[in-house]
Formats: sequence, C-alpha cells, structure tokens
Amino acid sequence: MSHALRTLATGIFSVQRSVTVLPLLRPVSAVKIRGQHRSRSDGVKGSESQPFDESLLEFLVCPLSKKPLRYDEKSNELINEELGIAYPIVDGIPNMIPQDARMIHKSSSTEKPTES
Amino acid sequence: MAASIRTLALKVLSDSTRNIHHVSRCRIRHLCCRARIAGCRGYSDSTEGRSTHFGFQTVPEEEKAEKVYKVFESVAKKYDVMNDAMSLGIHRLWKDTLLHIMNPQPGLRLLDTAGGTGDISFRFLEYTRSMYDRQQRLKAKSHQTPSWQDIANHYVSDEAGCPQSRAVVCDINKEMLKVGKQRAEKAGITTGLSWVVGDAEELPFDDDQFDIYTIAFGIRNVTHIEQALQEAFRVLKPGGRFMCLEFSKVTNPLLARLYDAYSFQMIPVLGEVIAGDWKSYQYLVESIRKFPDQETFKEMIEDAGFFCVQYFNLTGGIVAIHSGFKL
Repeated sequence: MSHALRTLATGIFSVQRSVTVLPLLRPVSAVKIRGQHRSRSDGVKGSESQPFDESLLEFLVCPLSKKPLRYDEKSNELINEELGIAYPIVDGIPNMIPQDARMIHKSSSTEKPTES
Repeated sequence: MAASIRTLALKVLSDSTRNIHHVSRCRIRHLCCRARIAGCRGYSDSTEGRSTHFGFQTVPEEEKAEKVYKVFESVAKKYDVMNDAMSLGIHRLWKDTLLHIMNPQPGLRLLDTAGGTGDISFRFLEYTRSMYDRQQRLKAKSHQTPSWQDIANHYVSDEAGCPQSRAVVCDINKEMLKVGKQRAEKAGITTGLSWVVGDAEELPFDDDQFDIYTIAFGIRNVTHIEQALQEAFRVLKPGGRFMCLEFSKVTNPLLARLYDAYSFQMIPVLGEVIAGDWKSYQYLVESIRKFPDQETFKEMIEDAGFFCVQYFNLTGGIVAIHSGFKL
C-alpha cells in the first residue's frame, strides 16, 4: 500500500514536474524566436527585408564627382573609390547626401566629411 | 549735399537688396541703373553672409535647408491627410492634370524630385500601365482573325512583357520617403519604383538619363532654384521634358483675397488641429507668397536652357504647371 502510495506520489510529482517544465519551455522558445526576428531586422548582411535594387546602379552616381559607384554588399554601402567616400543604404534606400557619407581612409579611421 | 543724399540712398538700397529674393534684386538693380547709382551692385554680389527667405523670415542660406528639412520631418506622417484637408481634395485633381498634360507613353523613365510620399510616381506607373493595356486591347481588336503564326509570335513576344516604365523618387528627406515606401507597399506598387535620398541641387544621377523630370510642390523649398533647374537640365535626355507643379500667383483679385484669407486664417489652424504643427503650415503659406510668379518662373526655366516653356494655370492661378523641353 505504501509502495503504491509512493509510486502514486512520485507519479503525481513527475506529472507535476512535467507540467511545470512545459511552461518554462514555452517562454524560452518565444524569446528565441523574438531573438531571431531581432537579428533578422538588425541584420545588415544581405538578409534585409528590403534589399537594395541593383538596377539603380545603371544611372546612380556620386553627386559630387558624377562618377559611377560600387555596391558593397558586406557593409551595405555605395562606394566611390576615387574620393574615398561611402554612401549608406538604409532600408533599401540609398542616402546620396554628401554630408551623410562616410569617408574611407586607408588607415581605417571613419570621419564624417564636412561638406559645405 | 548731393553726395550725402547719394550715399544715404545707396545705404538704403543696399540694405534692402541684401534681404530681398533674387528676382526682386534684379528689379532693384534695374532701378539703380535707371537712377545711375552704380554702387549697389557690389552689395548684392557679396558671397559671405548671403541670406534668403524662409517664409516671411530672412535666414542665412545654410540654415534654410536645415529648417525646411525639419518642417517636412515633422509633417511627414500626416502629410497626405493634411494635403486632403487643406486643398479639400483638389490636390488630387492637380496631380491628375499634371499626368494628363505629361501624357507619358509606356517604357519611359521618370525622375520625381522632391517626390516625398510618391504621389506623382504612383500616378505615372498606373497611367503607363493602363495606357499599355489600352494599346494592347486596340491591337487585339484590329487583329480579329490572326493566323496561327501571329498567335504564336504574340505569345513569344509577350514573354518580354510591357516595356518597363521606371519611376525614381528622389527626396532630401528620409522621413517622407519612408512614408512613401510604406504607402507603395500598401498599394502594392513595387515594380519599376525606386527610392533615393538626394539633394535637388546636387542630383546623384548621370547626365542624359531621364525622359521626364517632375517636381511637384517642391521647388519653392529649394534654397537655390536656379541650381535645381540646371541639375534638371543635366539629367534629362535630349528631348526630355521638365514639368513643375507649384503654387503660384492668383490672377483674379477677388479670388486672391479669398485665397489669402483662407491661407492665413484656416491653414495654420488645420495644421495645428490635425498635425499638431502650426509653424510648419505657417511656413507653407508664407513660402507660397515668396515664390516667383508664373512669368518670372518661366524666365528662370528658360535661363536654365529649356525650350518651348509654357505654363498652365489651374484653379484660377492658385497652382501652375510649368513645362519645358531639353532640345
């Protein structure tokens, strides 16, 4: 009888354990999914929700020198190598304002150029 | 005594020339020439401390662009709602008229400068699409009994689809473009539409690229209008069309008084009630008053090198469409 009671008790406890374990699992997985979404929206590497339309490069040029640009997928920027500046692409929209461009120094320091 | 009066007159004229818009400056220069006072030309040509108008205020040129940016950044979310409220929906008719005058054929490339929320570009793409459909239907009607060869060719050629019309929306303000992009996604218009952040005075496009250049309700916000016109000339293909839809001078005096009363009494109030922004809409109505009239603007467009420049007054002159060709 006591053995039966013990097994019953452990059974209940085990059921309870399994019951309590499940809710724990759910929030964890929810957090994981949220985390994945977050990384996807933050992701700069090619997996953006709005990819840059490369057909724009047919006629898009640097506003300062009017020379063609190179699309850099890794940093998601349009680079003018001659002047050493990079125009950022935000949400798939290239930002061609010279004041917002980043200078690319060979010494890999990033300063914003001051354009009048 | 004559000399002191002359210097006094010179000083008054120089003070007034410094703060007046370029166009009026030219007129005062003519006045000076007539009065044979030659000194004032030097004052208006000074390069440092050049100021321009921001509504009825006078601000240094460098500040104007920033102030305009802030205005549109704050109104971006409610821009379309406000347009409908202020113009009682008539702005849609104005934009439709612009498209009808433009009458674009399928397969053209449009640059919509200061395009903001993309009204003109959406209309352009829909217009060319429906025009293409109409052309196809007419073609089908005229080929009532095609041979098997014709049908086979038709299927093969249709693989290429319609010649793709392209619209590029360029605006200096990221917020306006963001709102526009959301609108495009909601309306399901994606193919052939591109968004670029760029300055109308320094367009990030190569020469001779676009068939049509439009700027709707944007050119009065540009600091150097002549520069924007020159850039427009540069990026247009030979034979390309420049079109500008902008508020202008009302010709009828009665309508002018009603319009002024409505502008200065109602519009900032609407701005405050709907968008919570009195100042931006005060700037809007003031900037309309500061913009040159139809003839002056036509001369500016001709100066930039466009030919066959003409304008169409809409709603009694409240709005004017200027059009010119690069030949």
